[in-house]
Amino acid sequence: MRLPDSVTGSFLVVLGAAAAYGGYILPPVPGQPVGPNVFPLVIGTGLALCGLAIVFGIGHSFEEEEELVPLEDGQAAAPPPQSKLYGLRALLPPALLLFYVFAADRLGFIITAAIMVYVTSTALGAKWKLALPLAALSPFAIHLIFGKLLRVPLPAGLLPTPW
Amino acid sequence: MLKTLLDAFALISTWEVIIAMFAASVYGLVIGSLPGLSATMATALLVPVTFYLSPIAAIATIVAASSMAIFSGDIPGALLRIPGTPASAAYADEAYAMTRKGQAELALGAGVWFSAVGGIAGVLSLMILAPPLAEIALSFSTFEYFWLALLGLMCATLVARSSPVKAIAGMFLGLLVSCIGIENPGGVPRFTFGITDLFGGIEPIPALVGVFAVAQVMRAMLTPEPPPLPRRKFGSIMAGQWKLTKLYHWQMTRGNIVGIIIGVLPGAGADMAAWVSYAMSKRFSKEKEKFGTGHVEGLVEAGASNNASIASGWVPSLLFGIPGDTIAAIAIGVLYMKGLNPGPTLFTEKASSMYAIYLMFIIANILMIPLGIAMIRVAAYILLAPRSTVMPIIMLCCAVGSFAIGNNMFGVVTVAAFGVIGYVMEANGYPVAAMVLGIVMGTMVEQAFVTSLIKSDGSILPFFERPVAAILAAMAIGALLWPVMVWVWRKVKPAQTVAATTR
Repeated sequence: MRLPDSVTGSFLVVLGAAAAYGGYILPPVPGQPVGPNVFPLVIGTGLALCGLAIVFGIGHSFEEEEELVPLEDGQAAAPPPQSKLYGLRALLPPALLLFYVFAADRLGFIITAAIMVYVTSTALGAKWKLALPLAALSPFAIHLIFGKLLRVPLPAGLLPTPW
Repeated sequence: MLKTLLDAFALISTWEVIIAMFAASVYGLVIGSLPGLSATMATALLVPVTFYLSPIAAIATIVAASSMAIFSGDIPGALLRIPGTPASAAYADEAYAMTRKGQAELALGAGVWFSAVGGIAGVLSLMILAPPLAEIALSFSTFEYFWLALLGLMCATLVARSSPVKAIAGMFLGLLVSCIGIENPGGVPRFTFGITDLFGGIEPIPALVGVFAVAQVMRAMLTPEPPPLPRRKFGSIMAGQWKLTKLYHWQMTRGNIVGIIIGVLPGAGADMAAWVSYAMSKRFSKEKEKFGTGHVEGLVEAGASNNASIASGWVPSLLFGIPGDTIAAIAIGVLYMKGLNPGPTLFTEKASSMYAIYLMFIIANILMIPLGIAMIRVAAYILLAPRSTVMPIIMLCCAVGSFAIGNNMFGVVTVAAFGVIGYVMEANGYPVAAMVLGIVMGTMVEQAFVTSLIKSDGSILPFFERPVAAILAAMAIGALLWPVMVWVWRKVKPAQTVAATTR
């Protein structure tokens, strides 16, 4: 996900300009010189200026490259990512959270949580022997803490908990 | 004074507080020791739990968990060369070198002992600095608050270990996020795009959880698993620590002071304190050549420093609502929720609560010694837990915790969105801490700014008229222009050297 500075900078310019314009069109408070429109205008302008500076590489010299801890001899490094799709794995956690948002009310907390745990665990390299018991037990533990002790109204859905 | 102290003792000597503190300590130690799970993340995931606790118990959990997590990050740093929290990254190499020389006990013992000492020094600074500053702060008007908040935001960008321009951009992004909602001077829906859930604005806590926890799980998806910890038998852990204290008392004091200063600066937290102190220790050491080969001196200074910054980070938080670091930013959210709104009056109206906070910090740091030793002994077993079992649980906690903040699924969407934002920002060198501070402080900055503008009838001049405001303004503007000046200077300097060589 390392993008060139020109891309992220341009994005900030557009975002800043949009924010400034969005602030500009807000209705003012009658009889007052300043209202809700001033702050977004200032922020948007600042953001756009920063974006421009980044596009032109100002301040780039300050950046320190990420210091990777070099591995010891004998400790084999993991194989480098193979395909382009490998990078998309990073999107799995937010996707699972959105899945939780849509499915939790229908399927209930236990089932949704079990699916989330199983998928995350497998994606991180767990064998089914580990992932399956984990997916079966951890939702109940979390439900016990949050649902029972802290009284968060977790959806029951298809499979209500025994308590 | 004595009565408030007794009141404070009464406040913290309930079973709820004691159990909360103990449980949070163990939790902080475990999370801090797992590589990739930072102290900030430990604290952020704790917030939903604090809803259901009394105010003092809620603060107790945050105080205990954050102090413990900063120390226990040293454990995998020393044993595996993988820092458990970013705050331990500065000296992980050094500690690991000591372990290879067979001095693991000394390295870890120094971690626990000087962390506790540093933590207590930090509390003392909080106790000494806060009341007189509160006196001064009472006379502050919105002009001063505006500049103070701006200065805080600028500090956050200056100390970031990346391009200051990107840090400022990150800060603006955070401020922009805080614009969302109807909580603005006109009470009109702003940047809500007709989505009802956005009317209430973006809550800082789900944003924090997203940026620090979900983004970490996302990174874990692409990075290899850290190697398991070789099991080893430890000798006495505290042996020799008193000798070290006497030998390096000056380094320890310097570490404490640097940590306190960096903690008080808004936005700069424990990781920065550790880096600066380690570098300072090396710079002023009499045995520079020993650094990097397993020399305990840097460990002493940096370990004393990062824990000192945790407590002193509460100074600006309690006084002005300006977080000293990301952990304090979370603490501010909890303080507001519990009716302990930060501000100078907190020290007069809720004095016993303030004393209770000091006491809890002291207790947490004393508790750190026995619990820390126990943790070092069982660390090998805890670090056996593979990432594929820890990360799914973190995911569940993110989902349930963010839901619990408002009993609203929108919180979960916020967490997911900020996970992506945090991941992309981090990958491209934009410091997320600056954005987090922007989100936390946005409403306050805008309020101070707009109220000041209304008072001054739209004129800019009164922003500089009061003496304190003028000083703060000069500092804030200086901080804003600093990267520009350095850039110009660097452009000019090569030209001069070229001119000099051609002459």
